[in-house]
Amino acid sequence: MKLRRARASAPGLDEIDTRIIEILRSNGRATNQEIAKKLCLSAPTVSARIRRLEESKSLRVVAVTDFSAHGFNILAAVGVKVAGRSPVEVGEDLAKLHEVLSIQTTSGPNDLELLVGSSDLEGLNVFLTKHAASVPGVHELESGIAADILKYEFNVVRL
Amino acid sequence: MHLDDLDRRIVAELSHDARVSNRQIAADLGVGEATIRTRLRRLQSHNLIQFTALTDFRMVGSPTLVLFGIHCEPARVSRLAIELAELEALNCVMVLLGRFNVLATGLFTSMTDVDEVKRQQISKLKGVRHIETIVSIQQFKYDFRMARIVRPVAASAAGGRRGPRSRPVESAS
Repeated sequence: MKLRRARASAPGLDEIDTRIIEILRSNGRATNQEIAKKLCLSAPTVSARIRRLEESKSLRVVAVTDFSAHGFNILAAVGVKVAGRSPVEVGEDLAKLHEVLSIQTTSGPNDLELLVGSSDLEGLNVFLTKHAASVPGVHELESGIAADILKYEFNVVRL
Repeated sequence: MHLDDLDRRIVAELSHDARVSNRQIAADLGVGEATIRTRLRRLQSHNLIQFTALTDFRMVGSPTLVLFGIHCEPARVSRLAIELAELEALNCVMVLLGRFNVLATGLFTSMTDVDEVKRQQISKLKGVRHIETIVSIQQFKYDFRMARIVRPVAASAAGGRRGPRSRPVESAS
């Protein structure tokens, strides 16, 4: 894919950086020693490379926790139609709600697309019909409950 | 599985920087290094945590997030979701109850690429009837530290092995 190729030739990244990042993607806690051994480098070189990537805000190695660890056992993709108010303003209000995990304005047909987390169906119902519905400008809510998530790899982000 | 206060404090420290050593976490939280190791292994065996590298948008040409709402033959949903998850261009695939049968997303640097993936890849999978393309314009909330961890247990446990002193990975207890 285009994206993959772009990643390999990203400005300022050489082949070694790219390979270090690949190893860290699958195991962020691989030691410098382990990475160095795989790539035939020295541990200080690996350490310096990672530090340089982090300092230039190109890379961050973090712990990612499952939604369920936060009590979000149910996820829903919710489309919002807005009336009488700007979608950005409505979105900013919705973003304040704890259950809203991600939110974006879109090209349509809905003005906003949300990922919503809840402990159970009852909680989702309360969120939709009470909390989200009471935000001024929310005109229509369309929700789909995630029955199964097969892939969730959001590792390219705004750092 | 329930996360207690110590689990949360360990997670919080690693959410900031996953490369901090067990020794450092132990010192910061005033507990033994072995405790940190045990706790992390437990969290990983339950697929509640993973350690990964996040890279910046601009390194891949500041891509746009595109959502595909896919309608398909009802009997094909499960199989189609697996096939979609195998597509490299897609970074998220979920079976949805309501709205669409499957919701998938991908990051794209051009609309030509979006069209190509839609027509040449998604549309060609068996059972696909209709695809709604939704382009994200502006994202104003996203916490990359939270995700659905879908890695198999064995791989996830191996991911946390630490250096030469790490012990063999034990089975989930």
